[in-house]
Amino acid sequence: MTLIKGTLDVLILKTLSWGPTHGYAISRWIRRTTGDALQVEEGALYPALRRLEERRWVTSVWRRTDSGRDARVYTLTAAGRRQLHTEESAWRRYVAAMARVLETRPAEALG
Amino acid sequence: MSRREPEELPLSPDRPLDRDVADELAFHLAQRQAELVAQGWDPAAARQEAERTFGDVQRVTDECKEITARTRRARRRADAWQAVRQDLRFAARLLRKSPGFTAAAIVTLALGIGANTAVFSVVNGVILQPLPYDGADRIVTVRETHANGWGDLAYANFLDVRDQSRSFEAMAEYASGLLTVLGADEAVRVRVAAVTADFFRVFGVQPFSGRFPAPDEHRESAAPVAVVSYGFWQTYLGARTDLAGTTLRAARTYDVVGVLPPGFDYPAATDIWIPLELESQPMSRTAHNSAAVGRLGPDASPDIARWELDGILQRLGGLFAEDFDATGAEVIRLQDQLTGSMRRPLFLLLGAAGVLLLAACTNLAGALLARGTTRQPELAVRAALGAGRERLVRQLFAEGMLLALMGAVAGVVVALVMLRVLLVLAPGTLAGVDAAGLDGWVLGFTLLVALATAVLFGLFPALRISANDPGTALREGGRTGAGPRRQRVWSLLVATEVALAVVLLAGTGLLLRSFWRTISVDPGFTAGGVLTVEINLPQLVYDTNEQAIVYYDRLLAELAAIPGVERAGVVNVLPLGGSMPNGLTEAEGKPITREDFADAVQAVYRLASRDYFAALGVRLVQGRTFDGGEGPGSRHVVVVSEAYAANAWPGETPIGKQMRPAGMDPVEEEPFATVIGVVGDVRAWSLTDEADRPTYYYSYRQRPYRIRSMTAVVRTVGSPAAVVGQVRDALRAIDPNVPVTFRTMDQRVAASLANQRFTLVVLGTFAALALVLAAVGIYGVVSYAVAQRTREIGIRLALGATPGSVRREVQGRALTAVAAGVAAGLVAAVALSRLLASLLYDVQPTDPLTIALVVAGLAVTAYVASWAPAWRGTRIDPVLAIRAD
Repeated sequence: MTLIKGTLDVLILKTLSWGPTHGYAISRWIRRTTGDALQVEEGALYPALRRLEERRWVTSVWRRTDSGRDARVYTLTAAGRRQLHTEESAWRRYVAAMARVLETRPAEALG
Repeated sequence: MSRREPEELPLSPDRPLDRDVADELAFHLAQRQAELVAQGWDPAAARQEAERTFGDVQRVTDECKEITARTRRARRRADAWQAVRQDLRFAARLLRKSPGFTAAAIVTLALGIGANTAVFSVVNGVILQPLPYDGADRIVTVRETHANGWGDLAYANFLDVRDQSRSFEAMAEYASGLLTVLGADEAVRVRVAAVTADFFRVFGVQPFSGRFPAPDEHRESAAPVAVVSYGFWQTYLGARTDLAGTTLRAARTYDVVGVLPPGFDYPAATDIWIPLELESQPMSRTAHNSAAVGRLGPDASPDIARWELDGILQRLGGLFAEDFDATGAEVIRLQDQLTGSMRRPLFLLLGAAGVLLLAACTNLAGALLARGTTRQPELAVRAALGAGRERLVRQLFAEGMLLALMGAVAGVVVALVMLRVLLVLAPGTLAGVDAAGLDGWVLGFTLLVALATAVLFGLFPALRISANDPGTALREGGRTGAGPRRQRVWSLLVATEVALAVVLLAGTGLLLRSFWRTISVDPGFTAGGVLTVEINLPQLVYDTNEQAIVYYDRLLAELAAIPGVERAGVVNVLPLGGSMPNGLTEAEGKPITREDFADAVQAVYRLASRDYFAALGVRLVQGRTFDGGEGPGSRHVVVVSEAYAANAWPGETPIGKQMRPAGMDPVEEEPFATVIGVVGDVRAWSLTDEADRPTYYYSYRQRPYRIRSMTAVVRTVGSPAAVVGQVRDALRAIDPNVPVTFRTMDQRVAASLANQRFTLVVLGTFAALALVLAAVGIYGVVSYAVAQRTREIGIRLALGATPGSVRREVQGRALTAVAAGVAAGLVAAVALSRLLASLLYDVQPTDPLTIALVVAGLAVTAYVASWAPAWRGTRIDPVLAIRAD
């Protein structure tokens, strides 16, 4: 199953809503949480992050990690958090609507 | 999920873009590889797997770089804008806190910027804006150069040049004159231009209505047609769209076939254009009766065209040596030629406005510096708290910028007022001046001036103030003394203001002296109490010379009969009316040989009546004037000017000598005329014209050629205005269809001085403003110095110094700076005076009287301006002064 366009942004924002972290951690989280069901080319994450940065939904700063390497660490901004809420509720409505459609029987539809 | 809280060691977020992207992606790949190795992968295979799941590294790198580069650019812009807004808000707060200073600064700037804007809008309208014709920069005038100057391109030469030259797309000749025209709603006297076939093509103009004359209407035998100006069509032809049957009558009857678009105005003020070729043109190559204009081809420049025409004319000169006086050609852009006489004065005034603005800037720099100094403690605290020097400079500069912008807005208002005044003062010769207004160019210029202003008066104090060591300022607690270095800065500011004022005052002084010299010139006539009436007889009615003579004879008799009229005469061209026509004359004892005109006397030709000289107050030196009985058939007599007599017969008695014009009018064999009288010289062209242009006068009755346009000269007992009504009645009684124009001779003299007066008044105003600025500047600086030295002065007074000695000492410092400024200003003024030289009449640019007056004026101003604050400074109570801190 490939990712629906625009979904990646929501996933990133969601991940960052728990706290600042770097791109690799985000990709690992997506990989594990979605159980490899969503096959994201991991590289696609980075342009997406930078686009979010351009839109001021996340900020970034270089930090030294405990492994001793520098990582570009992203933080969700207030605007990003608002955006996440908007998208979350949009997704919920979308999913609910899709669910209703898929669970409908022909008789009910013609009802 | 393991979420690694990053360790807090912030690095620059602005690492170079290449590294920013590469490091991030490398970090990802390394982490992924490590994770796989931890799961038991072989390191090399783990690396491969990491890269496989990542995708195209290069593409991702490029994409990331592009996005972040864009982001960084946008952020930088936003940050800069943010900082500017912050600085401006800060500056606005500061300025609101001291409304008095702010208002004074804005007024000062508004005057400086307004003056520049107003003058620039005139320069823009008159000189910089292209003429309103298509491809105006390719339209040129073409003239011949002669051994002693230049002349209009002879018609015969024009035909050859037009056919042989490749530089021109179109070329035309035109001749213009005033004519009385019937057939419109009333008889009107208008400027009529006779033009050759391609005239309108030269200007790239299309008819507004109707058509232009067709090529075959530009022939001698063609039916006469005319084209009229938009204004004439509106005013006199009722703006009829159907022109069929509309005719105008002058020497012939012309069918009106077309109307020019509004704005077409060449030759200036022309209302009717007719084909020149209707009349046969003189084919002599020395007949300079019409002028040439041309439209350069796309590849030609005026220089190329001139070079080509030089060659053509020289070849023609070889062929027609007998009848040829051109030595070469002159090709000038029409725009340059039209604005020629006002170019220099206008640029001079623009320069003067610039100097005024500099003075305003210097003043404000001083005021800002003083403000900055009293604000020193505040700035020191801010600096100590970590505001960088750059930031302080920026904030101080923002204050200047804000003032400059407000000054610019107020300046535009000032400019609108000044412009109205300028337009009233502007001489009528200033073509395009009514086009002067505030357009985009002018407003752009204003903005540029304002920015330059902000840099000049804002940046300098900003740098100076922020350069002070914050530690010192804090220790002194704001009581910054008048240290030697600070003193030098103040002296420099005062000296600069004074120097700028000196430059403007010296220029004004010279123009004033020149103006004075001009109006004190003895013009050779007495203008007071003289009424002049321009008369233009319609050719249709006054077809023959005899009819014109009858008209003038009767006119002179009627005018003389009016009570209150002392004398009345007529003349073809009044003094100050121009030196044309002039030509060569053959004086007795100086026969003219064909090859060599060296013996001929070049002289101005006038036609006058018996009482003309007495009416205008021209002195009769010897002999007598006409008796009124002269006629074409009777013995020819002539009155000559003193200069003519001196030229033709030096040291001899001129009365009884013979002379004659050398072939000017269509007379078979020009008879010699006997000199019957000698009159004083008059200024033919202008008051600053040569005093001694040889002139000879015939009676209009004896040589009645081209006498349909004459001017009556009426000397009145009382005011000329008192007899205007009666003179008008007399003219109506003779022929109500003759258009006339009344002006007093005084008005004519004043009009001839309009150029000079315009320059003088504007420059004088600027100089006065600069002087006021200098006075205010000196006053301010001395006040400030006294305030800064309150304690020191108190101590000195307490120790027994007299107030007078202290005042003298305080004033002395200021006056030393003033003296330095005066000296520098004089040096600059002398250096710049060569720019003025061509505008001066009979005054040396280094005129000692002017310099002395300027120095004296500034000395008095500076003394007065510095006395009051210095005096006030010594009125303090020593005890209070010492305790002041």
